Amino acid sequence: MKEPDIDSADEARRVAAVNRYLSLDAPGDGALDRVTSLAARIFHAPIATVTVVDDEWVRCRAAYGLPTRLCQGRRATSLCARAIGHDGVSVVPDTLADPHAAADPMVSGEPGVRFYAAAPIVASGGHRLGSVNVMDTRPRQAGVEELDALQDLAAMVTGELELRLAAARTVATERELRAGAERLARTLQRTLLPPALPQVPGLRAAAAYHPFSADEVGGDFYDLFPLDGNRWGFFLGDVCGKGADAAALTSLVRYTLRAAAVYDPDPCTVLANLDAVLHQEHAGSQGPPPYCTAVFGVLEPDGDGFTVTLAGGGHPPALAVRAAGGVETVHPEGGQLIGILRDPHFAQVGTRLNAGDALLLYTDGLTEARTGTGAMLDGEGLAAYLAAAAPADADDLLVSVHKLIASLGEGVSDDTAVLALSVPARSTAAPFRSPGAT
Amino acid sequence: MRHDHGLTITHRSHSTRVQVLVVAGDLDHHTAPRLREALDGVRLERGAGLVIDLSALTFCDSTGISVLVAAHQYAQNAGAVLALAGLDADLAHVFRIMGLDRLFSSYDDAEKAIAALQ
Repeated sequence: MKEPDIDSADEARRVAAVNRYLSLDAPGDGALDRVTSLAARIFHAPIATVTVVDDEWVRCRAAYGLPTRLCQGRRATSLCARAIGHDGVSVVPDTLADPHAAADPMVSGEPGVRFYAAAPIVASGGHRLGSVNVMDTRPRQAGVEELDALQDLAAMVTGELELRLAAARTVATERELRAGAERLARTLQRTLLPPALPQVPGLRAAAAYHPFSADEVGGDFYDLFPLDGNRWGFFLGDVCGKGADAAALTSLVRYTLRAAAVYDPDPCTVLANLDAVLHQEHAGSQGPPPYCTAVFGVLEPDGDGFTVTLAGGGHPPALAVRAAGGVETVHPEGGQLIGILRDPHFAQVGTRLNAGDALLLYTDGLTEARTGTGAMLDGEGLAAYLAAAAPADADDLLVSVHKLIASLGEGVSDDTAVLALSVPARSTAAPFRSPGAT
Repeated sequence: MRHDHGLTITHRSHSTRVQVLVVAGDLDHHTAPRLREALDGVRLERGAGLVIDLSALTFCDSTGISVLVAAHQYAQNAGAVLALAGLDADLAHVFRIMGLDRLFSSYDDAEKAIAALQ
């Protein structure tokens, strides 16, 4: 039998197809093993193999009655390379009567193959990837029925390989989609949070976002920004829901709070304006009303510290970590959810941050996390933890919270945003000039 | 945390004046629309009372809370009164933080809520 001429471009495409299949898995799995054992039984032959042929090697994918190492060899001398040369079955009734076949080590050496029959495995693109082979150690003939069955088996191998390729492609596509969604979520998240907090003279500010899920955008938000004169506004909150709708709502809430604060920075008025905007946003819509919880505050330099006026709308209490030790809740009692209630009540409360004091704002992902006992951590649990940790400043405070979240592990089931503000313990900043302040 | 306990809602009339919705299971993003539908099916006359019994509630997320707020507004529009019964300690705590304790009348169990609305 003469080796047919090989079109080199077509051969390159064929080898590429072979490599796609070869990259899928390791040989020796159940489906191909069943094909070889069936082929051997149909021919009443001791040996059957499934081989694929790349540019240099004949590679064994399954072998029955033959060790795998004997099943594979150099393409140039292998009997199994010839089946890919043409469509239809190849039969060598006696290998010793065929000079080319006699060069195969399986013929000249172990196991001493004398009879060989093969049907090509034809991929969907028409490329012959390899073959299903049957061998015997004595010369013989093959019946038409047997050869037809061999072709059917080769077609089954094709089907199996196509299926695996399709499955691998699906997995790869899914992985790509998931990576894309994660990238989008992270990008969106970045646009919802300020890239960096501004430098406020005499104040240290730090913020962190602890996402619960990599591919689900949460609705936590925060910001710190200049108001009129030397006052600063800050807020932190959480919108109802997750995903793209929550992200859009978060963006609306953030810009509304900043705009409302420029118009009138009174904290309760800012929250009331946000409430009105959210109600308007929902007017005429049938879906669940958008709502959020938030804390909005105004910082005003006062001596070597700041006065803080804080309004709350249905949000967990802020915590003041005092320089002298001890943690106090700073909670405007009775503030209600924003955007969902008729005539909601917003409340505000004042406190002072002196040198060495820090203020922590957080979302309920932190306080609703479950501790080892199964109970919610709660504001009291957080306050007790911070009292023991006694963080020195805003950055230290965030480190403490980070450690706490890490230690809660599986108990955490939601995103957590934290914003920490602190006044340096011993202020080296220039004295404040505050013409607007009394 | 995955919540897949499902939600069952049972509606019964306790008297001509008071109806009871027993909400059991997880009230979340997926199941909340069913409570909304159930509420649409409750006819409230002026002066009537509706008790939502939450004693068998296993989970309530922000969407669930918004449906409870909607129920309150629905009752208010009808000139009726809504009472919640059997809130567990965690949910009661969340309601306090959200300022919803000022909105809802809440009772330890359905019997006490029904008695208050009679």
